[in-house]
This record gives sequence, structure tokens and C-alpha cells, in this order.
Amino acid sequence: MKEVNCIGKRCPQPIIDIAKEVAQLEMGEDIVLLADDPATLPDLRAWARMTGNAVTVESATRFLVTRQNQS
Amino acid sequence: MDQGWADPRKLSQASAKARNLRARALESLAENLGHHPDRLAIVGESALANYFALAGIARGTSTFIHSAIDRKEVFAFASTCKAPVEQPVDRLGHIQFPTPPIDTPETLVALQGANIETGTIQPLEKILTVLTRAKIALDFTSSPTLPLPSRWSTVAYNAHSWQGPEGIGLIAIAQPQLWTNPLPHLGPERVPESFSLPLLLAAAVALEHWIVEEKQEHERIRQLSKLLRQSLSTRIKDCDIAGDPDSSLPHISSISFLYVHGEEILRQLELQGFSVDSGSACSADNLQPSHVLAAMGVLTHGNIRVTLHHGVQEKDLLGLVEAITTAVSTLRLQ
Repeated sequence: MKEVNCIGKRCPQPIIDIAKEVAQLEMGEDIVLLADDPATLPDLRAWARMTGNAVTVESATRFLVTRQNQS
Repeated sequence: MDQGWADPRKLSQASAKARNLRARALESLAENLGHHPDRLAIVGESALANYFALAGIARGTSTFIHSAIDRKEVFAFASTCKAPVEQPVDRLGHIQFPTPPIDTPETLVALQGANIETGTIQPLEKILTVLTRAKIALDFTSSPTLPLPSRWSTVAYNAHSWQGPEGIGLIAIAQPQLWTNPLPHLGPERVPESFSLPLLLAAAVALEHWIVEEKQEHERIRQLSKLLRQSLSTRIKDCDIAGDPDSSLPHISSISFLYVHGEEILRQLELQGFSVDSGSACSADNLQPSHVLAAMGVLTHGNIRVTLHHGVQEKDLLGLVEAITTAVSTLRLQ
């Protein structure tokens, strides 16, 4: 599965990077985000709510993102 | 001020004048905050008001409960307790209690009147329908004139919240017989009485003025706050506004913009002559995101916190909206 590695990047870069990658995915397709910034989890959840996508937390630094929004 | 320099505890004539001024300041503060002067204690460090309001009634406490959006002073107090309980909040920032909540006479609960970051006002009377036995320490350090609920044990205030000076905190004590000075002490004092008398006088005068202005300005500021929120959500895509505008302090708005650095927005606004605050990690000393925004599920990056002071005009606000719109669109292109 494709990964976006944002380890060491500060907010909001992980969210900017994952949003660009998700825009290239097919509906229902998954991508993994690796990030260790403390703002990643709350911001990823807020981003998913605002954009209509889905996030599953796999560990403190690994997040599964699923494209659910067509726009 | 020129008569309030002496130590009010001494016997000289100057000290008697200082005592008189202190008593009048206390009476004024008590009247405007809705308390009896005998029930007010003053501390010379406003951040300590929260600590004293909790620690002064903590004797015999088995469980300390607080919310995920409390001030850091409350979290610091919780860190000194055995197994403190942190309650989550919903998307609007309202504290969620389990059913039934822990509610015994040995339970101490910290409750905010309103949140300083998002303005969210807690439905205190509703909360107290399920907390009928616990000791209640109210944090009114950002909302001095909210209505007091029907039952409380202590209330913490900060003179800065009514545009008074830094360095004066107040604690209202419902039942002085249940109060214990939490610091080592020899005399009967409830708190260390090492506050500055001139600052206390300034705090009392500031509150008198602030209450008059607040009565005149409250509704106008509420309308400006609505205009700010509506304008930004209409003009800027992907913005996340914290809290419930219908149950918030009208002068505080917390708004986050997706894909933008909060610190960069602050810099751009500063160049345009607007001074706002941010809860984003990139603008915090410890690089941690705002625990309040995170607990509410609000976007923590690209955050700005706008405070509308008395006297702000609609043209100022529209200028701010224009400046924010330009800053966000410019930063998103970079």
C-alpha cells in the first residue's frame, strides 16, 4: 500500500501532503500516513470530518486514510 | 493611589487610609461580582486563583473531576491528586459526564463558566442537576459576569478578564468554615495576603467601568461576532469555527483554516495592523497544539483566536475579514 512519510514534519505539512495524495486516489482506496507531529491525530480527524474522508488510527505514528469524498 | 501606599496592617494614619481603601475596593468588587465582601479572598498572583479555589476546599476529597478543556492550572492541580478523572467534551465544548456521574460529598469538580480559547459557555445549571452532592469549584477567570449557578463551593476570578491589571486573582468562598489555607501558615489568613493594594484598587475601578461598558456593548459585540463568523465561513473554504455561537462569550471567536500555518496568518495580520492570537502548535512555546481545540475535535493548525474588545467598530471588523481572507488565500498558494 502506498505510504506518505511525514516523520519529522511539523503541522500542517502532514495534512497538506496527505490531502494532495488522497486527491489522486480512487474512491474507497487506502493510503498510509506516517507522521509524528503531536497535532497530526487531532488534525487528521478534523480534516477527515471537514473533507468527508475516513481515518483509522493504526498506531501513534501510522494512520490509514481512505478516500470517501469525490470532490 | 497616592493614599494607598502604606501597609494596611500597621497602626499609622497612612495605614488606616490604606485599610479604608482596601475595604472599599473589596466592597466594590464583591458587589459587582455578586458576593459578600467577607467571602472574597485576594491573591497577588492571578494564576494562583485557580489553585486556591481548588486546594482550599480539597480537604477530604477522594475524587477530583475536571474537563479536557480546563486551564493548565487545573491540569497542574489534577497532577497532584490521586487518580484524577478527566471528562471529555463534545464538538461544542460542553462537558460530558457519565450517567450516573461520580457525585459524593468527597468529590471535587472543577467547572468552567466559559472557555477562554473558544468562548464556549458551560450549561452550569443543567450540569448541577446531576451533580447534587459534589463540591463545585467554578472557574470564572474568563467570564466574571456570567450568572452564578444555584450551588457552588468556590469561584475563581482574574482581574485581567475585565481589563483590570495582571497580578490580582480573587476567590469567592461559599462556606468559609469549610475552607483550609492550603499553604503552610501560622495565622488565621485564608490565603497569603501579599497582594499589591494599588493593583487591587485598579482592579476594583476597572470592574466598575467594565460592567458599565459591557451592558452597553454586549449586544453590539454579539452581532459583530456573528458577522465575523458568517463572513469568514462564506468567503473562505475549509474553515472550522469552534464552539456554539448561541452559547459562547460573544467577544471570543476561534477559527481554523485548513492547510495554513497559524503563525503565518498571525504574521500577515500583524502587518495589516491586526493583533490576534492562535492555538496552533506552530505558534505555541512548547510546539503542542491547543488541548482545547484537540479535545473539541476542532482543527488545531491554521488557528486564529479573535477577541473583540469594547469599542471595536464594524469597519474594523470588515477590515479584519478582508485581511484574513487575503492572508489565507495567499498562504494556501505558497
